[in-house]
Amino acid sequence: MDLILPTQIDLLHISAVILLIATFGIVVRRGFSDWLHAYRYQTIILSGIVALIALITGIWELYIVSALTLGIKAIIIPKVLFYVTKKLDSPIKLEINPYVSLRISVIVSALLVAMSYFMALQLPISSDETISVFLPVSFSLFFIGLFIIISRRKALSQIVGLLTIENGLFLFAVVVTHGFSLIIEIGLMADILIGVIISSILLFRMSQTFDSIDIKNLESLRDD
Amino acid sequence: MSNFSMLEYGLGILQALLIIVLSSLIVGIMRKIKAKSQKRIGSGIFQPYYDIVKLLRKDEVVSDQSSWIFRATPWINFVTTASAAFFIPVFLVYSPFGVVGDILLVVGLFALGRFFTMLAGLDVASSFGGLGSSREMMISVLVEPALFMTIFVIALFYGGTNISTIVSSANDTSILVVPGILFALIAFFIIMMAETGKLPFDNPSTHLELTMIHEAMVLEYSGKSLALMEWSHAIKQMILFTLFVDIFFPWNFVEQISLVGISFGIIVFIVKVSALASFTAFIETRVAKWRLFRVSDLIAMAISSSMIGVIFFFL
Repeated sequence: MDLILPTQIDLLHISAVILLIATFGIVVRRGFSDWLHAYRYQTIILSGIVALIALITGIWELYIVSALTLGIKAIIIPKVLFYVTKKLDSPIKLEINPYVSLRISVIVSALLVAMSYFMALQLPISSDETISVFLPVSFSLFFIGLFIIISRRKALSQIVGLLTIENGLFLFAVVVTHGFSLIIEIGLMADILIGVIISSILLFRMSQTFDSIDIKNLESLRDD
Repeated sequence: MSNFSMLEYGLGILQALLIIVLSSLIVGIMRKIKAKSQKRIGSGIFQPYYDIVKLLRKDEVVSDQSSWIFRATPWINFVTTASAAFFIPVFLVYSPFGVVGDILLVVGLFALGRFFTMLAGLDVASSFGGLGSSREMMISVLVEPALFMTIFVIALFYGGTNISTIVSSANDTSILVVPGILFALIAFFIIMMAETGKLPFDNPSTHLELTMIHEAMVLEYSGKSLALMEWSHAIKQMILFTLFVDIFFPWNFVEQISLVGISFGIIVFIVKVSALASFTAFIETRVAKWRLFRVSDLIAMAISSSMIGVIFFFL
């Protein structure tokens, strides 16, 4: 690995901060399209981070991975989900009554960020500068995504939470291993794309059957 | 730090006077920009000065049910905000009066003024005054811990609560080196909107009982007292803007004391503060007033943002 310049370290820190701020954008907003916008910003910053790591480590495959992230996760997936939200029957496109209120979920997310920083300090692998900067950030993306899934009612927010978790895992993989082989990355991207399309079809079915996309409807398993 | 020449004290007084005098100009600029962005023509940017002069000439009507608190409040408000202005660096990196008190004293002076404003709202026993006071109390109870958390983040990163220390070390380090300060920036911006009564929290331009908070408390004032209240509100807003600009955008401070340097510093200061004021005015035209009980969501954002700032410091 080449020597890391001081300005590159500053860029690493500041991109980590901006990624965290974009992740909080998903937690604090309550409209469907607001989540998708926040997710898109998050992914654009993520692809920028991957390009930055490619610049530092000099591995050219990471540039392709960054471009793939930008193309599939920042353009196509939000497009699909925007199309779905536009076609949904329910007139109110807001998270109306989440299990945990917004102001508490913001504070819980801040605590989750703190927890992931303390967890990352316990791990013995933080030797490299990029790892010590981005490992806690990827943990906090993971935990915040999990928290979004368990605290919200609407099925769309479950998808956004899942995508946030996936972003965290992707960041973790890129930072720790400096990229899998390219074929696996392409397979992962295709996997996510298919997953999003299948869950959008499920969303359509839900909104046709129950007239809402509240996941409470999925809890009754029997037909009575 | 404690031995200043007479010239430096004179410059310190000049800095405070700049804040006190230019505060109404900033109010005028913000009103003009809001009007322009709503496709209205709007009044000129010097209109707040004319308003104050007109109000000073007018007679005052005071309810005979009110006590001395009602009459003393405008003066207390004006004196607290004007004395807070003496601690703020404007074009020098320090204020010579900074040895007397730090940023916590500024917050305390604001709290004193606000306390008396709330008492005056209750004092005349009109229903609007009580309503405004209770709302203001709720918001200030929520804002104060957020403000202290933010101040602690800034103090941790820049080494001390003294404003001169903060601004001079902010001037020396680039914002890229201390990314945790970005969280403090977000939190401070939200708090600034709450403290100055900007749109998601309070709509200062209406007199509708559902929306007004600050206006409801000062509804009974007229004449000279109203002029003092409006002016001290403008000074408070100017102080918060100046603090924001000083801490987060500390560029082009005067290094050596010379006439050219100081006049250049004053011009840069005015440009920076009016840019911030225009940005705030744009934000205000973009958002609607939030429901009173959703306001705490924003404050929770400020608190958690500064919490992450603290985490970033202790890494």
